[in-house]
Amino acid sequence: MFGWSGTILRINLTTGTIKKEPINLNDAKLFIGARGLGTKIMADEVDPKVDPFSPENKLIFAPGPFSGTFAPSGGRYDVVTKGPLTGAIAASNSGGSFGPELKYAGYDLVIFEGAAAKPVYLWIKDDLVELRDASHIWGKTVPETTDLLRAETDEEAKVACIGPAGEKRVLFAAIMNDLHRAAGRSGVGAVMGSKNLKAIVVVGTGPVQVADPKGFLAAVEKARAAVKLNPIGGAGLKAYGTDVLVNILNESGALPTRNYQDGYFPTANKVGGETLAEKLLVRPKGCYSCVISCGRVTKVSNPKYIGEGEGPEYEAAWGMGPDCGIDDLEAIVKTNFLCNEYGLDSITMGATIACAMDLFEAGHVTLKDTGGRDMSFGNVDALVELTRMTANREGIGDKLALGSYRFAESFGHPEFSMTVKKQEMPAYDPRAIQGIGLEYATSNRGGCHVRGYTIAVEILGNGVKLDPHVITDKPHWVKLFQDLTAAVDSSGACIFGTFGMSGDDFAAMLTALTGVPYSLADYLQAGERVWNLERMFNLKAGLTSADDNLPERLLKCPIKTGPSKGAVSRLGEMLPEYYQLRGWDKEGVPTPEKLKELALV
Amino acid sequence: MLIKYFADVRTLSGCLEQEWTRPAPTLRELVLGLAEQHGAAFSARVMPSGKLSATIIVLVNGQSVVHLDRLDTPLEPEDTVAFFPMIAGG
Repeated sequence: MFGWSGTILRINLTTGTIKKEPINLNDAKLFIGARGLGTKIMADEVDPKVDPFSPENKLIFAPGPFSGTFAPSGGRYDVVTKGPLTGAIAASNSGGSFGPELKYAGYDLVIFEGAAAKPVYLWIKDDLVELRDASHIWGKTVPETTDLLRAETDEEAKVACIGPAGEKRVLFAAIMNDLHRAAGRSGVGAVMGSKNLKAIVVVGTGPVQVADPKGFLAAVEKARAAVKLNPIGGAGLKAYGTDVLVNILNESGALPTRNYQDGYFPTANKVGGETLAEKLLVRPKGCYSCVISCGRVTKVSNPKYIGEGEGPEYEAAWGMGPDCGIDDLEAIVKTNFLCNEYGLDSITMGATIACAMDLFEAGHVTLKDTGGRDMSFGNVDALVELTRMTANREGIGDKLALGSYRFAESFGHPEFSMTVKKQEMPAYDPRAIQGIGLEYATSNRGGCHVRGYTIAVEILGNGVKLDPHVITDKPHWVKLFQDLTAAVDSSGACIFGTFGMSGDDFAAMLTALTGVPYSLADYLQAGERVWNLERMFNLKAGLTSADDNLPERLLKCPIKTGPSKGAVSRLGEMLPEYYQLRGWDKEGVPTPEKLKELALV
Repeated sequence: MLIKYFADVRTLSGCLEQEWTRPAPTLRELVLGLAEQHGAAFSARVMPSGKLSATIIVLVNGQSVVHLDRLDTPLEPEDTVAFFPMIAGG
């Protein structure tokens, strides 16, 4: 078999049994791998109404065909499960080297079923697969866990693990791999914790077989050159990292500020990528087979926030910064380090604290609730301490651990939560960028930008430049971005490859790698198939078209200051056209004809 | 008129922002004036061969000049003009 290793590893944590099964090649062709193939397993084997923390929920680690090859930025994997934060399908995507190592060990999917009676970790060395006791590392942070597990297995092993946040079922706990990379969103780490699974430790020494080596090499060289020639993929991201977006979003009047009360933050430059590069950057860093190197190795020397690690990405810097009314970059970097060490989704953490600050200033959360702690916007000490308290579920951190929706709801004001499907939206204001609002509202995993990154055309002009304030054609663009991204994720590639590579480039590489012919149309249809399968899972889980929505604040409260002053989201005007383009009925349900067209019946 | 610079354009201009008081009825006159002040490297980066670079983003009061009149975009003394390279993230 080419591209795919051909083997599923199935672990029943309740019984301790370990099985190896062949993958279904037809499913692999249709759903590609990673996010797509993982979702196919979930759809086939798990009741969508399952309690995410019950043993009947499954947790799937899945690299894709590109993972482990030298395809540009082809080092990613997905964690697929039912997310406890959203109640929807979760597919959290991460870079680093862990995904490729799973491929080298010989596995396309590692499926965890049931729940262990006591803490365990999985040790994989090629064909050798063992469940081992993890009692001695339960409670350890991500760096501690990684060091200890490498010491008792192999110093070169790749480790994916949870920190204390996952163990304590913080609803937005991440799974961390290679210390600093995160399968971050929707609470996949909490599902891992619910299964008493602390880590997967893997060493792989096998190859990834290529169907057409010469053709693959040619396709990769063409794709790699396209990325290097692109001003974003070639140089911009390496120089400044993703945090460089702070300023252009702010100057566009689209930087959500103080829990989306506004869209402009006057001191944004203090937390932007230029400032990060000037003051705290040690060096850029890339993931496996990366030609971009957007990662940031960073260091804070200030004793108050001293630390070393990686990040922050734009989304984290925004959530802990402007969204909390904070412009102290050292405190933001420190808080991001804490998220990585405890295993927290840095987007939801920042946005949840922003929501709490908003509720505090409005008087709905009082000093009595906070144990006497001031939680006003701009309070840097609160940012750092509330992150620690959330990871450890101490004091008010126990409620923050539920995410902003449940937190705000517990104080009687869920409207303060800036979420879609109970997951926090990231750092682009839908009032100032119409397409991304439709994207957030329809994202299958709740508030998320990387399910369809229309910012590339609405703000940045990557290939095409669309006016962010108009709604014309936006449903078409959102669908296109969502379908292409689903295919890219399912391939095991990084979406930043699209800053240079076209859909044709991905299809050509996949064809040469697997020997299965994929035209551009086939590739996009595979993405559309994955999107619709996710949609069907969510509908069966109980979500409806009413969940394809944005917080009322974005629909009714105009941006107060800055270049987009007066703007609101026009979601309601775009949604019907989006459903129509998707081949869904007026309730957002895929029609039988659409499901048949996509081979989903 | 307030001029703001970001990322590598900031490096080429040598400043975060500056006030522009000379006449600049359109973006073209402004960029020519800025090129004269900041030198050849800035000029080559922002407006090579008399056209705005395809790898530069210019906002006037938060609006991309692609959706205005590009180099012919009219300017007023109270405007804010921001120069960015092509950047991205996520």
